[in-house]
Amino acid sequence: MRKTKLHLFTIADYEDEERWLRQQHRQGLRLVKTILPFFYIFEACTPEDVVYRLDYRNGSADSEYLQMFQDYGWEYFNCCTGWLYFRKPASEIQSDNDGEIFSDNESKLDMIHHVIKTRMLPVLVIFLFCLLPNWPRSFPGTSSPLDIFFSILFVSLTVLYIVLIAYCGGKLRKLRAKYKNQ
Amino acid sequence: MEERIRRIYVPMTETGFYILFCLQTPQHGYGIGQQVRQMTANAVSISPGTMYGTLAKMEKDGLIAFYSEEEKRKLYEITPLGKEILDLEIRRIQRLYKNSKGETVHA
Repeated sequence: MRKTKLHLFTIADYEDEERWLRQQHRQGLRLVKTILPFFYIFEACTPEDVVYRLDYRNGSADSEYLQMFQDYGWEYFNCCTGWLYFRKPASEIQSDNDGEIFSDNESKLDMIHHVIKTRMLPVLVIFLFCLLPNWPRSFPGTSSPLDIFFSILFVSLTVLYIVLIAYCGGKLRKLRAKYKNQ
Repeated sequence: MEERIRRIYVPMTETGFYILFCLQTPQHGYGIGQQVRQMTANAVSISPGTMYGTLAKMEKDGLIAFYSEEEKRKLYEITPLGKEILDLEIRRIQRLYKNSKGETVHA
C-alpha cells in the first residue's frame, strides 16, 4: 500500500528531514521516492529503526561514489534536486561513525559550503539583480485589474524570497557554526 | 613543492594522514577504511562521504593518482608529491612525540 505525504524541507533542513524519515520508518512507512521537494511517496513496511542520511552532490553521483556507499552498507534509493538519499538499518550500526556518512566536521562543512554556493547564491543573485531592480516597474499606477494582479503577484514573490533567504541563510549559518565549534 | 599544497596538508587531519599512509600500496576507498580500522583497533573510522571527498581532493591536488579500476571501485596510489608531504608529516609527528615525552629534538 502506498501513501503520499506532503512536507516542505528547505535546503537548510536536511538534518530534520533525516530525523523525520527515520520516524516514519519506525512507524512502518518506508520512503520509496520523492517527487519535487514536497511529495514523499511511502510504502507500508514492518516498523524498523532505520537511519536515513542525505548527501548533496548537485547531480554528480558517479558509479564509484555509489559503490563506495554500498560497500559501507548504505542503501541508495532516491535522488531529488541534487540530494541523494541513503539508509541503513540501525541494527547494522556498531559505532557512531557507522551511522554517519561524514566522519569529520571538515567534510560536513564542505557539504554546507557546496549547498550555499550552488543553491543559496543563485537565489540571492536572482533576488538582487532580477527581482529588486523591477520594483519601480511593477507598480504602473493604473487601476486595471491585470496591473493590480501583477503588482500583488510581484509583492508576494518578493516577500516569499525574503522569507526563504532569511530562513535558509540563518539556518545554514547556524549549522556551519555548530560544526565549526564542535 | 607548492606553498599552497604544503599549507593545506601540513599539519594534516587524522583522516588525511591515514588515507595517504595507506595509499603507499594501491587500494580503493573501502579497502582503506577497513585497513585504518584494523590498524587503529576501531579508534579511527572514516565514513564514505568523507572518504570519497578526501580522495577526490587529494587526486585534484596531485597527492594521489588513479591506479586501476576493479568492479566500479577506483584504486589509487600515492604520487611522489604525496610521498613528500607524507614524509614531512611523519617527521612532524615524530617531533611531536619526542617533545611530548620531554625530549629535545636535535637538528
